[in-house]
Amino acid sequence: MMIARWMNLMALLLMPLLLTGIIGRVKSLWAGRRGPPILQPTYDVIRLLRKSSVYSSTTTPLFRIAPWVFLVTALGSGVVTPLLGAEPLRSFPFDFVWFAYVWALGRVAIMLAGLDTGSSFEGMGVAREATFSTLLEPALFLVLGALCLSSGAHTLGEALAPHLRSGDAWIVVRTLAVITLFIVLQVETARMPVDDPSTHLELTMVHEVMVLDHSGPELAAIQYGSAVKLHVGAAVVATLLNPWAGASGPLPAVVNLALSALIAILIGTIESLIARLRLRTVPKYIAVALASAAVALLATAWRDGGAR
Amino acid sequence: MLNLVLLALPVLLLGAALALALRSNRASAAVAISTQALATALVVVGVTSLLRGAPALELIWPWPPPIDQIAFRLDALGAFFLVWSLPMTLAGTVYAVGYLKPYFSKGRHGGPHYALLNMISVSFILIYSAQNALVFLLGWEIAAVAAWLLVIWDYKNQKIRFAGFNYLVSTHVGLFVLVAAFMLLHSKTDSMDFASFGSFLSQRTPARSTIYLLLAASFAIKSAFFPFHTWLPRAHSAAPAHVSALMSGVIHKAGLFAFLRFTLLMGRPDEWMGWSVLGFGAVSAFFGVLYTSTQRDLKRLLGYSSTENVGIVAMGFGVGYLGWSWGIPALAVAGFAGGLFHLLNHALFKCLLFYAAGAVYRATHTIDIERLGGLAKRMPKTTWLFLVGALSISALPPLNGFISELVIYTGLLSGAAPSASSNVALVAAAAVLSFVGAVSALSMTRAFGVAFLGARRDAGVHTGEDPPRTMLAPMVLHALFAVMVGLVPELGVWLIRATVALVPLQTDLALVLAPLSSVVWASRALAVALLVAGIIGALRGERARRSVTWGCGYTGGSPRMQYTGSAFTEQFARIFESFLPSVRRERIPTELFPAAPGHVSTHHADAVERRMYEVLGQGEDLVSHISDRIPEQPRFAFAAGLVALFALGAWIFGAGQP
Repeated sequence: MMIARWMNLMALLLMPLLLTGIIGRVKSLWAGRRGPPILQPTYDVIRLLRKSSVYSSTTTPLFRIAPWVFLVTALGSGVVTPLLGAEPLRSFPFDFVWFAYVWALGRVAIMLAGLDTGSSFEGMGVAREATFSTLLEPALFLVLGALCLSSGAHTLGEALAPHLRSGDAWIVVRTLAVITLFIVLQVETARMPVDDPSTHLELTMVHEVMVLDHSGPELAAIQYGSAVKLHVGAAVVATLLNPWAGASGPLPAVVNLALSALIAILIGTIESLIARLRLRTVPKYIAVALASAAVALLATAWRDGGAR
Repeated sequence: MLNLVLLALPVLLLGAALALALRSNRASAAVAISTQALATALVVVGVTSLLRGAPALELIWPWPPPIDQIAFRLDALGAFFLVWSLPMTLAGTVYAVGYLKPYFSKGRHGGPHYALLNMISVSFILIYSAQNALVFLLGWEIAAVAAWLLVIWDYKNQKIRFAGFNYLVSTHVGLFVLVAAFMLLHSKTDSMDFASFGSFLSQRTPARSTIYLLLAASFAIKSAFFPFHTWLPRAHSAAPAHVSALMSGVIHKAGLFAFLRFTLLMGRPDEWMGWSVLGFGAVSAFFGVLYTSTQRDLKRLLGYSSTENVGIVAMGFGVGYLGWSWGIPALAVAGFAGGLFHLLNHALFKCLLFYAAGAVYRATHTIDIERLGGLAKRMPKTTWLFLVGALSISALPPLNGFISELVIYTGLLSGAAPSASSNVALVAAAAVLSFVGAVSALSMTRAFGVAFLGARRDAGVHTGEDPPRTMLAPMVLHALFAVMVGLVPELGVWLIRATVALVPLQTDLALVLAPLSSVVWASRALAVALLVAGIIGALRGERARRSVTWGCGYTGGSPRMQYTGSAFTEQFARIFESFLPSVRRERIPTELFPAAPGHVSTHHADAVERRMYEVLGQGEDLVSHISDRIPEQPRFAFAAGLVALFALGAWIFGAGQP
């Protein structure tokens, strides 16, 4: 039990930057380059931590606090996520509500920091992020609610792991949940086709443009926090796909880590092959997540109806 | 003990009379504040035993016919409302001293204003302890008229008079509906006593549903539910800040109180009532929050957010109704507790936000967020206080709004409903609640970010300092409670425990809320982590290098180039265009050398208000127009057919059930 805890903590702290490294490597392979080492994002964070910061004279202390708040909230969401397919670090009833709202807090902190600079670019990114998040949140709750109903569970870990009560619509609910949560992951972690994390063309970006003015350790906190969010989101999808999730022993952990890495590879592949959507079409893309979550929810009722 | 509470009435009335009579503003304020403080002390002492779970207190005054007797009955529900309403009114009165100072220095007499604030407290005691429809109506009317007179403090401004009149008319439309319900009840029971109302309402007669609908409509108007909210943003933007705060946070809660009072009188509700309350609440929260996203006027924005929050409260009550009608105690308790808790929290953070908006108005003489910006540097205290309110109204952990919404979520997501389709409907309601939370975060980020952060937008707006202590103290108090209730929700739970126990279901609130203790611990851990993060952030600023904001290579940036509030919600408003109609006024010069400057302005109108006027003006026209269009436009006919088919299917399906 104790070992599982420690393993979870290690995964929470160490996996994120590896995953972003994998994504970077996959993208360079697709582009026909050898690419940077997998540990490059880790080196970047370490380098940034050693640098000193420059603050805009327009900013208030809020700007300096926000990155750390963001990091704390990202880690806070990781605490309740079954990163290794089984028991998360902490699990309590309705921890998925906590998960969603902690993410929201981190988002609000970064958005406020963006507005604090008084830059029109950052304002633009903040407005986009805020708009997308309003559509994303109901999708997340619909799908989590559907998973809860179909499993009878009230914690994130139990709702994601495959359950014993299986019915006709079981496979439908979980497939649609994977689709929804993958889109949630793409939007929340600013990945293609919603957002382009690699360009620095300010007008087209969402997430990157909000943090234009951050530098040094603050930027490190944001980069690490984003990586943690990516890992947490990938682990949620991985646990859903993991057939051994919830089992004891090292098997679920190994499978979950492998699946997380696979998801990272998939993200890198999508990012190499697909162009970013036009901003106006992004809400429609999120609507796909909403619709599939809604169908998943309706399927839970169908399943019960069939059982009756 | 009830004598003690009722003793507060003469104290407050005496205070009001003295405040009117005394010529000096300072003396009027002192009298009003001291009598309110005394009344608050009396009431708090009087009701604590009720909150601990003591049986209800009753008192009957004989009265000459035709009234015969006036009955007072104070139970835990009334005690819960009294115990925070009076102190908050007192805080508002203290705030008024600072807020109205500039008017006083121009020679305005504040006596009537203070007297009216005392009368608001009087009305609370009457409404919350009434056991007789006449006493209830008396309190109801005192509150309505006093609030109206408070709103039109600046009566020389025609716009403000109009807003006040609008409020007066709306509130009396609600009163007529209420009187109609009482008349119906009187004709059935031949009494004005709530106890006999209760014994009639608990029987399942056809009149019960009618009366229920009338009462619910009246209370919905009082609490400004969508679509009865149109008076509210006008009134809130016109009134002095403390009046807006008290109206939004405290006075309009009377509607929710009355709803609960009659729920308890009525006994176990029907299932359709539960669904309608839940649906009505969800619609109100949804539209209320949509309208907050496009407001330029900070107080209007907060006004719409009241509609949103009473909607959230009603969603909680809806869950409670459903749980009660299905006989599932855990669900009923989660719903009622969540609703009551959120109602208290809303009072805490909404007053705080209105007070902060008032401080902004005091310092800058505008509350148009597009003209503000960079207030954080001139008014740091107000900024941090507003931020606390903004975060807690967005239901973010670790503040109080999160806890109460979480309790409602536990009901919605419990999966405890008897049928799968009901469970699906509850989860869908949870998704609406999450949408409301996210949009609320968007609106508050926008309002806070545009008004307080960045750089000053309009050089014409002179920015003053943080407000005086009389205004700061109530804000600090509200913020402290918002944080405290967030970190120690047991405080709030203690206040609502006895009230929830009034619902006759054998279950303990503590048992239902037990699973939440882990979330609370997580919140506390988060609070500590945030504190550490804050200290790191604050300390790091000391010796750092400073530069200008990165303009992506462009060095001629000006504060006018910052993102505006309208730009902020442009994309969002486009997605919800059908609910957020945008009104564009423009005069574009056509000639080569225009004589007069052109202008373009856009704003988002209240769809309901526009529609209401349209419908009132050309009702018949509209109906004939729609009926003409159906055959011409196949898609309308198609939609109508689908709806009819669905309704028919639902009816047949419903009839098939045993």
